[in-house]
Amino acid sequence: MTDRGESDDDTLRTGDGVDAGESSTAAETEAGESTTGTETDAEDETREGLESDGGVSEPAPSSPGVAPESVDGLLEGVESAGIEGYNYAYLDEHTKREVRRATLKAIAIPGHQVPFASREMPLARGWGTGGIQVSLSLLGPDDTFKVIDQGSDESVNAANIRRLAETTANVDPTRDTTAASIIQTRHRIPEEVLTDEQILVLQVPTTDPLRKVDGSDDRNRRRHAHQNYSKMWVSLYENVVEWDEIQIGAAYPVLVNGRYLMSPSPIPRWDTPKLHQAETLFLFAAGREARIYAVPPHTDVEPLAFEDKRFQRERFPEACALCGSTDTYRTEVETDDGKRLYACNDTSFCEKRQRDPSIQKAHHVDRDVGWERLEEPAVDAANDGGEGR
Amino acid sequence: MGYVAVEAGEEVIERAEQLFEKRRTEGESDPVSIDQIDEQFGRLVGQVMNEGGLYAPKLAARALKQAQGDTVEASFLLRAYRSTLERWDDSVPVSSDEMFATRRVSPAYKDVPGGQILGATKDYTQRLLDFDLDGGDDPTADWDLEEAEPESLRNVLEILREEGLLAEPSAEDDGEDYDTTREPLVYPAPRSAILQELARGETGAITALGYSTLRGYGSVHPTLGEVRVGSLPVQIEHPYTGDPVEVTSVEVSECESVVPEYEKRDDAQFSFGYGLVFGRNERKVIGMSILDASTQLEGNEPVHDTEFVCQIVDGVDSFGFIEHLKLPHYVTFQSTLDRIRAIRERTADGGDSPATTEVSGDD
Repeated sequence: MTDRGESDDDTLRTGDGVDAGESSTAAETEAGESTTGTETDAEDETREGLESDGGVSEPAPSSPGVAPESVDGLLEGVESAGIEGYNYAYLDEHTKREVRRATLKAIAIPGHQVPFASREMPLARGWGTGGIQVSLSLLGPDDTFKVIDQGSDESVNAANIRRLAETTANVDPTRDTTAASIIQTRHRIPEEVLTDEQILVLQVPTTDPLRKVDGSDDRNRRRHAHQNYSKMWVSLYENVVEWDEIQIGAAYPVLVNGRYLMSPSPIPRWDTPKLHQAETLFLFAAGREARIYAVPPHTDVEPLAFEDKRFQRERFPEACALCGSTDTYRTEVETDDGKRLYACNDTSFCEKRQRDPSIQKAHHVDRDVGWERLEEPAVDAANDGGEGR
Repeated sequence: MGYVAVEAGEEVIERAEQLFEKRRTEGESDPVSIDQIDEQFGRLVGQVMNEGGLYAPKLAARALKQAQGDTVEASFLLRAYRSTLERWDDSVPVSSDEMFATRRVSPAYKDVPGGQILGATKDYTQRLLDFDLDGGDDPTADWDLEEAEPESLRNVLEILREEGLLAEPSAEDDGEDYDTTREPLVYPAPRSAILQELARGETGAITALGYSTLRGYGSVHPTLGEVRVGSLPVQIEHPYTGDPVEVTSVEVSECESVVPEYEKRDDAQFSFGYGLVFGRNERKVIGMSILDASTQLEGNEPVHDTEFVCQIVDGVDSFGFIEHLKLPHYVTFQSTLDRIRAIRERTADGGDSPATTEVSGDD
């Protein structure tokens, strides 16, 4: 990172680390020191957390712009890094700071897409590289980390991301939504109610909902600046004229805090209401498109819709074949013998329901959040415009 | 749970990796060494280095071996490794006049100062499959060569510059180059950022987009001032004295294009395009110089749209996102199914059924 990159967000510097909240750790504070100090002794401190990890050493963090003592010293530093030498939580401390700064800025401006210098990760772009950068910038050794991909902890890509965090950040993995301090997810918000002690990191493929109506990032940034969403409204209207329905499936565009149009990432419409006035911090990260945005707790999130064409959630004709739920997002499964079944998509919660069918989505919190009791809209009621808020 | 198709764990990932690795080792021949790849597949190594944005021939050769020859995968490995390294310093800007050129052709002039240097090239060879390739003899062994001092060559386009015929791209005034690996790229982007993106662009993409304008989808059809391949010194500022010190050299390809599109009404000047990449890759530098010129010129075709060009040419981006379509999408697809069924229910109720339906493309 160059000096110029750092100075952009000077005002946010003092708040560095605040976003991590409970997950803020000793390693993180020390990281702050290692970038402000010029000596290498800060490096020894950051190393402490790693010793137990066996074989994971780190390249010496150096401050940007600090002249090395000599060319030999500089070369020595390069050699000691070695090919195996990765930092705690993989990213170097400067990168983590930069990601956290972008994250803080995103929280300060709900729904606004903040550019950040996305790094190449050891995962392919489009496979969760933004999410993992944000997760790794927040994770500390005391965190419990859950990763889901399309609702499942067991998907290979989720396992791969979890493995990276486990081996480099030394965190405890979990499948239990209520036990996780940070959850990285692709395209779902878990069924169980999230709390103010949790952060949900959503992977984002396409950051800008306006991309549907104009491919140019430059022009769309102008539209956001002027809150000019007329093209989006016209597109929705044309949808209604042509199909008599708003025909958007997942990634239903929402207006955040009455100001920014935002893609909630391709979560199903089922999950969209969960963003509204939640207790939890939602972070959205796109590695390939190099943007971070956020929905902070207690923020209004409103799906775009018309008075006579309301926002509708998905409908399911059958209960979950495994646990009998009718209040969860289900996906259809074609079996080998030609039958079609519906099964809960949130596998972790489905397993809990299979053990205890009476368990509620808010079983672990003592308040009513509203959406968790929403039953699905009946299939035949869809023509009446479905549900609204 | 037999029907939940995409369940898998770490063991499965590991086995898949092992199977992939087996593909490389299951043949009967000796394993190819990293040195062999570096020495005998120099073009591939160069491509991986320029797309990876890291000059490291041995690491590039290692990445190629690991990727079983997939250049984009290999440059991705190199970039992922690079992104964990600190950036220590900037090198001192160096003029390409200082390049020790092993090849230099100038299509714009018959004779140029320093002469045309054909160098090592297959350009004029008949492309016949060589069935005697396995011989290890050095075909130049009995050449009678004099030891000559490396010569630096004067840039051909200086001739046009002196005459005032070449428009200079507007200089950036902050004096510091943009580094797209350390700063987010937002548009409109400075030219240093665009050049960096082009230099790291995927060779096939750069070639295809460059070709598109020659084929009529754009206004750029350049004359090449020169194409060079050679060795460029890398200098850094000495930490004590502040003097530039040569620390190493890198093999690069360079191209300068003259574009007969006049920049100014009142003072007609040629437009100019520049290309420079690590390693030997003439097709990519020529393509790059076309795209550098086309993104500076106005036009309605894709090559004149800087955002389009920069976003499309990156191989690591496009490879990742194209291949991500293999990931499970059943949640989003269920959502899409719900929409089309709702529409079909309605049309079944009320009359005409639409012939085709455009399903929203979500990821």
